Amino acid sequence: MIKLNETPVRTSRNFNINNIKLENVDIPDKVQDFDNLEILGKNSKLTIQENVSDFDLEYGLGDILTNHVKEKSNKKIRLIIDNKNNEELYLNFKFDNNNLQLIDNIEIIANEDTKSTIIIKYESDKQINAFHNGIINLIAKSNSQIDIILVNLLNNTSNNFISIQNKLDNNSKVRYTLVDFGGKNSITNYYSNLIGECSENILNTIYLGKDNQLFDLNYIVNLRGKKSNVDIEVQGALKDNAKKHFKGTIDFKKGCKKSKGNENESCMLLSDTAKSLALPMLLCSEEDVEGNHSTSSGKAGEKELFYIMSRGFELKEALKLMVKAKFNKILENIKNEELKNKIIDEIDLRLD
Amino acid sequence: MKKTNLEEVNRNIYDIKNEDKYDYKIKKGLTLTIVDEISRQKNDPDWMREFRIKALEVYNKLELPTWGPDISELNMDEIATYVRPKTKLNTSWEDVPEDIKNTFDKLGIPEAEKTSLAGVGAQYDSEVVYHSIKEDLIKQGVIYTDMETAVREYPDLVKEHFMKCVPIYDHKFAALHGAVWSGGSFVYVPKGVKVDIPLQSYFRLNSPESGQFEHTLIIVDEGASLHFIEGCSAPKYNKVNLHAGCVELYVKENAYLRYSTIENWSKNMLNLNTKKAIVEKNAKMEWVTGSFGSKISMLYPMSILNGQGAKTEYTGISFAGKGQNLDNGFKVIHNSPNTSSVVNAKSISKNGGKCTYRSLVKINENAKNSKCSVSCESLMLDDISISDTIPVNDIQNDEVEFSHEAKIGKISDKAIFYLMSRGLSQEDALAMIVRGFAYPISKELPLEYAVEMNNLINLELEGAIG
Repeated sequence: MIKLNETPVRTSRNFNINNIKLENVDIPDKVQDFDNLEILGKNSKLTIQENVSDFDLEYGLGDILTNHVKEKSNKKIRLIIDNKNNEELYLNFKFDNNNLQLIDNIEIIANEDTKSTIIIKYESDKQINAFHNGIINLIAKSNSQIDIILVNLLNNTSNNFISIQNKLDNNSKVRYTLVDFGGKNSITNYYSNLIGECSENILNTIYLGKDNQLFDLNYIVNLRGKKSNVDIEVQGALKDNAKKHFKGTIDFKKGCKKSKGNENESCMLLSDTAKSLALPMLLCSEEDVEGNHSTSSGKAGEKELFYIMSRGFELKEALKLMVKAKFNKILENIKNEELKNKIIDEIDLRLD
Repeated sequence: MKKTNLEEVNRNIYDIKNEDKYDYKIKKGLTLTIVDEISRQKNDPDWMREFRIKALEVYNKLELPTWGPDISELNMDEIATYVRPKTKLNTSWEDVPEDIKNTFDKLGIPEAEKTSLAGVGAQYDSEVVYHSIKEDLIKQGVIYTDMETAVREYPDLVKEHFMKCVPIYDHKFAALHGAVWSGGSFVYVPKGVKVDIPLQSYFRLNSPESGQFEHTLIIVDEGASLHFIEGCSAPKYNKVNLHAGCVELYVKENAYLRYSTIENWSKNMLNLNTKKAIVEKNAKMEWVTGSFGSKISMLYPMSILNGQGAKTEYTGISFAGKGQNLDNGFKVIHNSPNTSSVVNAKSISKNGGKCTYRSLVKINENAKNSKCSVSCESLMLDDISISDTIPVNDIQNDEVEFSHEAKIGKISDKAIFYLMSRGLSQEDALAMIVRGFAYPISKELPLEYAVEMNNLINLELEGAIG
């Protein structure tokens, strides 16, 4: 059994949310090569360095998985962004029978006054048992703007572990769009430090669970710089016996005067055996700030369903429409139409 | 610009110290011999003596909480767990020793009894020194007495309910309570009886380096109703005092219980209290809580909604000033269909104080068509204080309506500006906003407590806010 993804502040052990305990997860000791990486947009003014070895992670999922990346990484990539024209770089990792294990360490440095979009997608063939353990470490320098789209479309028998760490300097703007659909276990740690004044972090997540999938999302954002701003929006749907733990922490550190933090999590339950556990935390050591959080859970609205079905849709199709409508605002972040359509198709497929 | 300056709680009344006179004080520490001696001193029946010893075994096995405030300064070897005052249980204030009577006089208890209560219990250190109930309630079969009398005179009723709602395995301090409990109140309201005027128990801890472990057991039978008020205070000493009381409430089918608490322990007190209610079919349980005192408080009243259509409401405010760490909140378990809960929690932190709202909402698989709404607001009055919100929401079926909202922040400059543009002085504007913030709670309190709370939240303003 491994214990992962500790919250920054503990609460009663009986509430079963301080961490996640997983059994029967085989963390590979001997890691094979991973060659099925497609990089699109190489011609942009992005420097791509492969096989770099820097490692710096403050928080992460826990020592076992962090050290695993540190010692066994089979894909090391450093992206240095110097362009101002928002050219897109697309890293497409495809798991198949010859590429079953990916231990990736991706470092992204967004230099001053730059603008960029990075898409990272993990997908797998249906009948394999893949293992992914990765780290994304972003440094957003002053006045940089970066849009990161991270898409997990692994199958439901694989394991997906990811640790994200961000450091934001003055006036930097970082937006993450996380699409989290795959994995028997999909465990995410997101740790963001808004150090600079007027820095801004937007985090939008959609998750979709079915069968016995487990999602454990541990998002921690520390507001340190004056007038820094975070906005977390998480929309999800669970069917069958799927289970989700959402742990979202906005921590107003001393000195972050006039900062704002908002967090909203909403879970649509599509079966009476799906489970939703949420811990939206606000920690505050500064007076002149504004913090809000809200969470909600429940089934699809009966009136809305009735309306859609009265237009000739079957229940299953009506539910699909409602889930897509719920996700739509976040999907609008994705400007790459091909990817967006792929994700919409995947919603249909997973809800069939 | 100057800061808002909110007066901290005026403790003059509560800090009156009487000489530490007692009839018997057990030696400090927590051992089998000490627990056995408490049982002997209290003339327990055998079952209770065995229960205490079992609870001590459990206490020794359980670990301290791995979360929440640091309570490592608590050293049970320095706490006397039983202090018997120099008086018996009285039914007339005239018979209560002068110094003890004076204390309760200053706290306004006999006066409140005359004007607005149907019964009063007053505990001093480890024993209840005064108990009364109006004659007409006795005629209707209402029982309101101290716990020791209840153990002797209503053994079956007590055995059936005592530490069944809060089992000794719940946590370390529930086990401690089981081992050394003393005093507290027992209430039984028979089927269909409506007690229109509140009953009140007041708990006063005078003795330094000691603990208070009163047990409150209330059974409101089918279709009956009751409002019970609990007050507590202690003078301040340099060393730690401990309060580990236990409140068990049974709200039977179609019954109604409101349990109001004003907690004003001294700032050397560790308040590690446990309160739980089991709510049956179509019954309603309401908690109203004001938490002002204590150095450290860990208090999370809990409603277990076991019956179909059971309802609960929690309305609470915490006010943490210098040196205080108030870790309070609410827990609710929905165990049956059509249950509902409403939570409205507020906190004010100032002068380096820390308020934490910690909670659990659990809606189990069978609790179809249940509803829960949680609202939580925190006000920071300076930049050296801390305010945290740590709510856990565990939803296990799809036929629910659940929502949770929390806000944190300072007094809005715009709101001050608006009120001043309507002709209010800045001081009055601030006072109005803070009182308005606390109003949803104060309006639920009995009148004398609402007045007291408004006095506690008395704004002293020096110029403008900054």
